[in-house]
Amino acid sequence: MTELFLAELRRSWIQLLRYSTEAIAGIVITTVVFYGLFLSAQYMAGPNLQFGERLDSVIIGYVLWTLALFIMTDIAGNLQREAQTGTLEQLFISPYSATQVFLTRAIASLSIQLTLLAGILGTIMLLTGSRLSFPLAVLPAFITVLLGAYGLAFAMGSLSLLLKQVQQLLGIFQFALLFLLAVPSESWTGSLKLLALLLPMAPGAGLLRQVMAQGQPLQPIPLLLAMVNGALYLTFGLVMFRLAERETKRRGKLGGY
Amino acid sequence: MQILEAQTLKKSYPVEGQAVLAVRDVSLNIAAGEVLAFLGPNGAGKTTTIKMIAGLILPDAGWVRIAGRNPHQDAKALRSLGAVLEGNRNLYWRLTAAENLEYFGVLRGLSRRVARQRGQTLLERFELTEKRKTVVQALSRGMQQKLAIAVALIHDPQLLLLDEPTLGLDVEATQTVKTLVREIAAEGRAILLTTHQLDIAEELSDRVAIINQGKIVAEEPTAELIRQFSGTAYTVELEAELDGDRLQKIEAVGAVVQAHTVIVRDPALLYHVLDILKPLPLVKVEKDRANLTDIFLTLTQAHPGLPPDLND
Repeated sequence: MTELFLAELRRSWIQLLRYSTEAIAGIVITTVVFYGLFLSAQYMAGPNLQFGERLDSVIIGYVLWTLALFIMTDIAGNLQREAQTGTLEQLFISPYSATQVFLTRAIASLSIQLTLLAGILGTIMLLTGSRLSFPLAVLPAFITVLLGAYGLAFAMGSLSLLLKQVQQLLGIFQFALLFLLAVPSESWTGSLKLLALLLPMAPGAGLLRQVMAQGQPLQPIPLLLAMVNGALYLTFGLVMFRLAERETKRRGKLGGY
Repeated sequence: MQILEAQTLKKSYPVEGQAVLAVRDVSLNIAAGEVLAFLGPNGAGKTTTIKMIAGLILPDAGWVRIAGRNPHQDAKALRSLGAVLEGNRNLYWRLTAAENLEYFGVLRGLSRRVARQRGQTLLERFELTEKRKTVVQALSRGMQQKLAIAVALIHDPQLLLLDEPTLGLDVEATQTVKTLVREIAAEGRAILLTTHQLDIAEELSDRVAIINQGKIVAEEPTAELIRQFSGTAYTVELEAELDGDRLQKIEAVGAVVQAHTVIVRDPALLYHVLDILKPLPLVKVEKDRANLTDIFLTLTQAHPGLPPDLND
C-alpha cells in the first residue's frame, strides 16, 4: 500500500506541475470570488467597520468549503474523467481493490489540495488583513472535517459510478456544502444543536471556528462527537462505493460514459 | 496448461424493460503460448465476454478462472491478467511513457524499483527508449498502442486480452503490433485477441472462436476451420491462352477453361490436366482455399446480429 500511495503521490504531483496553469487559475478564481464578496460586504457596512473575529470565522468557513469542494470533485470528477479517457477500467483490473486505489488516491491528492488551500488562505489573509491563529489543537478538528468530506466524496463517487453524469448534482451540492461549513452551527441551541451534531462536517467546522477565530481551547467531548461524526460519514461513503462498484459491474456499465 | 478457462458465461441486459441475452453459455479456453482470435459482428457479445473475463462485468451465470483463480472472487487472479481494452485509451496522456509504465507497474502490485526496471526493458524491446520522456499525448497513434501493450505486460501476466489492437494504425504500425503479438505468444503467454481485421486474425491466431447473437457458432484451430470451408478444386493459371487441341482435350476430361485459367474440380484429374498442359509456361497452381473473411460471413450472415444499440 505504501508503494501505491507513493506512486499516486508522484502521479498527481507530476500532472499538477506539468499543467500548473489549471492549479494557478483555481487559486486565483477562488481568491477573487472571496475578495469580491468581502469588498461588497465592506461597501454595505461602510469603510470604518471592523469585522474582527467574524471575518475570521467567515474565512475559515469559506476555505473549508473550498477544500471540501476540491475533495468532492476530486473523486467523482476523477471517475468521470478516467472513464472518458479509458483508464478507469485499468484501475479496476488491479490486484488492489477499487476502494483501496481511490482511498489511496484521495489521501495522496490531499497534499495537493492542502498546498492549494494554503495559497488561497494566505492570499485571502493578505488581502483582508485577517489574523487567524493556527494552534496545534486545530489539527484533530480539521481531521474530523476531512473524514466527513471524504465520506461525502465517496458517496458522490458512488453516484458518479452509477449515474455517470453528476456535474449538475455537484453544482447543487456545493451550495449545501457552503451551508454545512459556513453556518455557525456551534452556536445553535435546543433541538438544532442535535441536528448540528448529525450534519456532515458541521461539528468539526464549528470546532475550527472556535479554536482559530475565537481563540477557545479544544473541548474533548465536542471533539469526540466530531470524530464519531466524521468516522460514520467516511464509513457510509466507503460502503456506498463498494455497493456501487458491484452494482455497476452487474449492470456492465463500468467503462461507459 | 490452460491459462484461461471460461465456462458457460451468461449475461443479459434490460432493453426496453425486457432482459435480452447478450452472452449465452459462452465457454472459452486458452492454453499457454496460444493465440485465440475471438471474432464476431458488432453487438455479438465480444466485449461483454472479454469484460466478464477481466472481472469488469459480473456474469449472471458461469465462471472464469485465470491461472486457476476466479477474478470475480480472488483479486490475485488479476496479477495474471494484462489487458488493452478499446484502442489506445489505456494510458495517462499527461504522463510520459516511462511514468505510465512505472505507475501501472505499481498499480499491478510491483515495487517501484521492479516497475522501473521492467519498464526500461519493455521500452527497449518495443523500441520506445527515445520516447521515454515524451508525454503520451505527443506520441503517434502507433507508439501509443505499443506503449499500451507494454503497460499491459509490465507485471509479466500469463494472459493478455487485446481488444482491437490494430484499430486505426497505419500499415507499418500494424506490422509492428503483429510482430509483437507473435513474440509475446512465443514467450508462453495466452492471448485473447479481438479484431475486425480478419486477415490479421487469420495470420496471428492458433484458434478461432466466432460469436454471433451471444453464442459461439464456431470454435476450431484456425487451419482446421479454413480447411473445412475450403473446396477441393484446383486452379491452374497459364501465361498464355490455350491452343485449340489442348482446349479440346482438357474440356474432354471435365475441366473448365476460362481465358488463361483452368479449373479442375476433381483433384484426381490434376496431374492428367498438367500432362496435357506440358510444356506450357504456368503462372501458378493453387488449391481453392477459403479465407477467414468468407468463413466469418458465412457463419454470421446465417444469423443476423442483435440490435445495434445493445451493448457489445
